[in-house]
Amino acid sequence: MHGKVLVIDHEKCTGCRQCEMVCSVFHTGASNPSRSRIRVIKWEAIGLYLPLSCQNCEEPFCTEVCPAKACHREAENQRVVIDKKKCIGCKTCIMACPFGHPFFDSSERVTVKCDYCDGDPQCVAFCQARAIVYVDADRIPGPKRKEAALRLITSMRPPL
Amino acid sequence: MGCVNVIVSPEGLAVKKIEKISQPQKVWGWEIAVYLFLAGMGAGAYSVGVILGWTWNLSVLVKIFHVNFDVAKGILYGGPLLVAIGAPFLIVDLGIKERFLYACLNPRTSWVARGFLILSTFIILGLIVFGTSLLFPGVDLRGSPFWTLLEAITLLLAVSTALYTGILLKSVRYVPIWNTLWLPVLFLASALSTGSTAIVLAMMACGLAFPEAQELLVRAHQVASLERILILMEGVILAFYLYTTYRKKEEGEVSVRLLFMGKLRWLFWGGIVFLGFLFPFVLELLSTWQPDQLILLLVTGISLLLGGFFLRWAILASGVKAKHPLHKFLELRATLGPSIPKGRGDLTR
Repeated sequence: MHGKVLVIDHEKCTGCRQCEMVCSVFHTGASNPSRSRIRVIKWEAIGLYLPLSCQNCEEPFCTEVCPAKACHREAENQRVVIDKKKCIGCKTCIMACPFGHPFFDSSERVTVKCDYCDGDPQCVAFCQARAIVYVDADRIPGPKRKEAALRLITSMRPPL
Repeated sequence: MGCVNVIVSPEGLAVKKIEKISQPQKVWGWEIAVYLFLAGMGAGAYSVGVILGWTWNLSVLVKIFHVNFDVAKGILYGGPLLVAIGAPFLIVDLGIKERFLYACLNPRTSWVARGFLILSTFIILGLIVFGTSLLFPGVDLRGSPFWTLLEAITLLLAVSTALYTGILLKSVRYVPIWNTLWLPVLFLASALSTGSTAIVLAMMACGLAFPEAQELLVRAHQVASLERILILMEGVILAFYLYTTYRKKEEGEVSVRLLFMGKLRWLFWGGIVFLGFLFPFVLELLSTWQPDQLILLLVTGISLLLGGFFLRWAILASGVKAKHPLHKFLELRATLGPSIPKGRGDLTR
């Protein structure tokens, strides 16, 4: 994998949704979490919060299915972004993403996704719990990767 | 995507029950269902029509405002007209409609772009065949190599269009009920049955409207007998499709449950099973004993078309996305509670 990615540690997330707020302010000028590019999924009953954002996949399905080439990987910094000037709002990328990430912005009538705030993600800057970090994909700490792999294996096992 | 409802004990410690409420997608709505239906029906009608045209060499001239029209050929080759009516529904669904021409920029990997090219080529070439056959009855083009080639190419494009309506959904990898090879096959079978129904209804309408086109009423009965075989085929394919989807993955099973006993059950049992199969099948049997009762054939046709539309709508509405791996983990953790050892994926560590 290339480029920098957002790494989210949901164990640190307190569910304050500050990331959603600053994201919407940065991108739309309005404090409206429904127009944010990051979404926090909440399980209040068991106290779990899961911020979900673009995973900057190595083989992104959103770029594969985009008919207008609006969703593409930037050659310069390897970020997967959507060019709003080309997007036709067909929502195919929304259906294609396994992480449910790109969102349809009904105000602008196009699909939007995390663009890493041009290299300075606001969610990272404003997260007080330091649950989101922006690091090189190749430099994600080894134990973190191992832990993630173990979680994935556990989740794939059939229930007892 | 699905979501999880967890009910905890009063102490708030052990998770007693986990209830999965899987929500079907709402991204693609009725506009796409109408498009899938009209494009499928038009492509199917053209495929059946071209083959019947080769077999029968049917020609029925009708004079309207002192101009001769070959209505028989117009009906057999009229499929592209239905596709041309259906295609704008795709544009209606777009966020920025005036950019619809951008939809063909990535045919290398995008099925939407490939579909755009297939559909537009089929509409253009198909309308040329349709217009020429309808408006120039005096010109006998049968046997001309160019005409035969044009018919063969448009037939190929019609089959591709019918298959494409299924492939468009199949290309969405993370919706198990769509991501199966059975879906394009089912949509092709449905396209052929609804297409032949459209031909039957158009033949009946022309036969009743113009006294000189009485032959079309007889032909309508012949097409209806072919249609019966196509309905049976479609029913068998639908059963296989639902069975394999049910056995496939968790969300495939959820989608089938949504159709069988969930909130889409009325659409499935009423719209697809009753209107699409049982009711028309009984009426068709009755119409074989009472061939003079044209009303039977008419109601059968309308019922079949409604069934074809509900089939697309139900399949579209029942699409449930596969869960995020971490989502699955959280479900498992909530189910098992403290039994997952620490360091092996325990989130509370």
